[in-house]
Parts: sequence; structure tokens; C-alpha cells
Amino acid sequence: MNIFIPLVIGAILGCLFKNKIKVDLNRLMSVTLLMLVFFMGVEAGKVEINAINLFVASFTFAVLTMLGSLFFAVLLGGRLR
Amino acid sequence: MIFLHLVLASLFIGFLVGKYTTVQFGSLYEIMLYLLIFIIGLDLGRSTRTEELKKLGKMALILPLATVIGSLLGGLLASFLLNIPIKWALGISAGFGWYSLTGPLLAQYSAIYGVIGFLANLTREILTILFYPLAIKKIPKELAVSIGGTTTMDSTLPIIVKFGGKEITIVAFVHGLILTAIAPFLIPIILQL
Repeated sequence: MNIFIPLVIGAILGCLFKNKIKVDLNRLMSVTLLMLVFFMGVEAGKVEINAINLFVASFTFAVLTMLGSLFFAVLLGGRLR
Repeated sequence: MIFLHLVLASLFIGFLVGKYTTVQFGSLYEIMLYLLIFIIGLDLGRSTRTEELKKLGKMALILPLATVIGSLLGGLLASFLLNIPIKWALGISAGFGWYSLTGPLLAQYSAIYGVIGFLANLTREILTILFYPLAIKKIPKELAVSIGGTTTMDSTLPIIVKFGGKEITIVAFVHGLILTAIAPFLIPIILQL
């Protein structure tokens, strides 16, 4: 199934029933997320992983995306100040 | 912070189950993913506030745009440094710190890139908490918000407000809100390229 379908259906329903949704969405999202992360861990456990490589890759992505964002924020946003 | 520990514990327990047992969960992963995406959509539709965008003017659009361009270019650079295919690198960086969305979306296609997507975006959140207070010593505080990506509307907002001041609240919230609306669409588009 395309990922957009549940997203768009959810967004439309959320807009339509803005004030009628009484369910605690945060709690529901937290439970779903914990289960999803568990299943993700199961899938990752089935393949060989080098923990150091994984750490280096994650850290590199985090640092470079942050620095890139900051650079463009200063470049584009600095003119508006 | 407690929830963050629960998330990491879930990942670790799942990893142990996958590595040391032969238990099969069938299509539960996909069901959970679609349920999570549906709830995210529901929450987005429910909480979109256009009046807050109007208050900020151009900065409301420029700052998230800078974060999108900067994150994607940062991801591109990481793909060259780490020798990771560009599609996956852009997918990882398009999470903008939203680890709970990026990890599962990427894991649909590749377990390894799913875990990298998860950890990279989780690291971005943690580094924002650690470095926002330092970054604003050199960089204007509203521009430094960009390092937090989507997390600036929830998990890193308290740190940003504590160190950047109350006047930064709306900028940070709207920045995170716009990126939160973009990420669920941008990641699948990149993955389908």
C-alpha cells in the first residue's frame, strides 16, 4: 500500500473532525511507535550489523544535516533580520 | 526522556529477538507502520494552525526552507563520505530529526538503512539538546533553531525556549510544524525515485 493513502486519509479526517477527536493521539502514537521500533529491531537483528560503522554513519548524518541546516539558515534567514 | 529510554529498549530487545530467535511476526510491521502513519495524518490535520504562520511572516517559510535544503545537502555530502547510495542518504536526511518516522519508513525497504535513519535522526535530536545552548553564543537564536529540524515543535522546544527565550517559542514551533508536515511526504517521494 502506498504510504500516502493512510497519511492523506488521516489528515482529511483530522481536519474534518478537528474538535470531535477525543482519543489521546499521543498515547496511541507512542504505543504504535514502540511496537514498530521493536519490529524494526527484529528485522535489523536478522542481518549482520557492524555497530561501529552504524554509529559512525548515524553521527555523520546527524552532524552534516545540522550543519547544512544552520549554514542555509544563516545564508537565507540572515537577510531578513 | 523516559520515552526515549523505552524507544531504545524496544529497539534493543527487538534486535536480540531477531538475532537469537526464529520468531516470525508476519505482516505486523506493515500494519503498525500504516497505523502510525494514519495517526500522524490525523494529528497533522487536527493541529494545523494557519494563524501562527501569519504572525511570523517570511521567516516562517524561509527557516524551514533553509532546513530542508541544508539537511538534504548535508545528506548528499554524507553519501559521498560514507559511500551510501544517494537515494538512501537523502531519505535519511529528509527525516529532519523525526526518527520515529524515518526509521520505520526506510526499514520497509532496507533494515540497515532503516536503523541508520532511526539512529541518525535520534542523534540529531540529542545533539540539538546538547548544542543549541552553545550555538546561540555565535549564531542568532532564531536561526540556530534550524539545527533541531522537526523536533523544535516538541522534544527540543523546552531547551530552545529555556536558552533562547520565550520570544523564540512561535518561531521554533512553526519551524517544527512545517517540517513535520513536509517529512511524511518527502521521504516516500525520495524513496520512490
